[in-house]
Amino acid sequence: MAAQGHRIDDTSLIREAQRGNRAAFEVLVRHYDQSVLRLAFHLTGSESDAQDIYQEAFLKAYKNLGSFRFECSFYTWIYRIVTNLCLDHLRKKSVRKEDAPVATDPSGEEYNLLEQVPDARAGADPERDLMRRELGRKIGTALSRLTPRERMVFELKHYHGLKLRTVGEMLNTTEETAKNTLFRATQKLRSALAEMR
Amino acid sequence: MKCDWVQQNLTFYVYNELEDDARYEIEQHLGRCPECAGELKASRKLHATFSQHIVVEPSPNLLASSRMRLQEALETTTQGGIWQRFIFEPANWMRQIRMSPALAAAIFIIGFAGGIGATYNYVSSHSTNGIEALNILKNESNAPEVAAANIAGIRSITQEPGSNQVSIKYDTLSTQEKTGSLSDSDIQQLLLLAARNNYNSGIRMDAVDQLTQAPNDTSVREALMYALRGDTNPGVRLKALEGLSAFVVRDVRVRDAVLQALINDANPGVRMQALRLVEPLKADSSVRSVLTRLSQSDQNTSIRTQARAMLAQVPELD
Repeated sequence: MAAQGHRIDDTSLIREAQRGNRAAFEVLVRHYDQSVLRLAFHLTGSESDAQDIYQEAFLKAYKNLGSFRFECSFYTWIYRIVTNLCLDHLRKKSVRKEDAPVATDPSGEEYNLLEQVPDARAGADPERDLMRRELGRKIGTALSRLTPRERMVFELKHYHGLKLRTVGEMLNTTEETAKNTLFRATQKLRSALAEMR
Repeated sequence: MKCDWVQQNLTFYVYNELEDDARYEIEQHLGRCPECAGELKASRKLHATFSQHIVVEPSPNLLASSRMRLQEALETTTQGGIWQRFIFEPANWMRQIRMSPALAAAIFIIGFAGGIGATYNYVSSHSTNGIEALNILKNESNAPEVAAANIAGIRSITQEPGSNQVSIKYDTLSTQEKTGSLSDSDIQQLLLLAARNNYNSGIRMDAVDQLTQAPNDTSVREALMYALRGDTNPGVRLKALEGLSAFVVRDVRVRDAVLQALINDANPGVRMQALRLVEPLKADSSVRSVLTRLSQSDQNTSIRTQARAMLAQVPELD
């Protein structure tokens, strides 16, 4: 049925955008931009870095849309662009040896992505709140032990729920390689959390 | 050898990445091997630790400002490969002609400028206060008079040198109507757009209400999950839950979306309805872990009580 409704919609929009219809491109962006921003925000830990990656990814997509040949879905294509930008960011970050996923909000205040809980219910129980913050710190430290690629595969699998075959396509590799990367990532995370007990 | 193979694949088992035959073999082995069963427990614990811990998500303000920034940048960006615009693909051209009414309506609905541009001449009145009253003259093509409500945006304003003639290019909106049954693909497309993008919660409610009549369609189900996760109106979220209710048991993605609503939705009515929907799945480990959390920390007394009652009916499996 219109089980392909979204795809048909995308195909029409892509064709229109390739003809120079900017409004069509903007509609296309709206189909995916929340997920793109979410991915960039989780991996960079910074609102401004996430926004920069968002901007760069969609501008790159706009400039190169003429070369999109429907060999994969637009979803895979745009994610390929975003993951490459995020991997570049993670590689630069690991060179700077930053640890916890500390985010900076627009006013420049730092906060830990995994400690902050946007949940009013947590405030009613200080001890639970403290335990949650402590767990967040441990999770952040464990994630920082992963290589950029391991972090990316874990993020796409665990937080975005993508199939490993799709993850492989996005990272321009095979499903088997994505599987091995996920296995290594989970083993490292398990060891890291066990060490911190 | 068998245990090695099983333990190497437990991560993929937990993440539901295995083929059915591999899954079956592992489950058979786990029933006989306490060591591998222990490894599975550890893998599930790791999965649960990362799943239950809430990560800060980008705020709506960040998304809105990102969109505005992108829109501004697109105005000065040109697409590469200009030659690509002139490739003629007959089959696609024919598809475009069939799809164009729905596509035009889609662009109008979300409010981007997509209407017809026209050029009008404005003649200023001779007033000491400058331009006060503007008379709109029709141009040679007999374009209709300007009505402020129909104006989508102003593209450019230029004044002829040495004269009081001002030329303004602007885009207009025009409303269109499409009638058809729910099985009509254009109607479905418009409903999917209305459910996601319309700024009027009443329109989103109407769209979601219509979509609940066709939840078997995968894209409809995705739109309902999208509404459940992110619509700002609790009535729309409740309506989306109603549409997804038949799929909580058989579709893992729907189950996960409902569990997320249980944890994150700010409205207790939505959380209570989500709780009722997962009742048949209370023996599932991920559902149980959410129920445990609710029973301990939900702000609403009825929800805590209901969650405890559901947990009490489930025997301890570990």
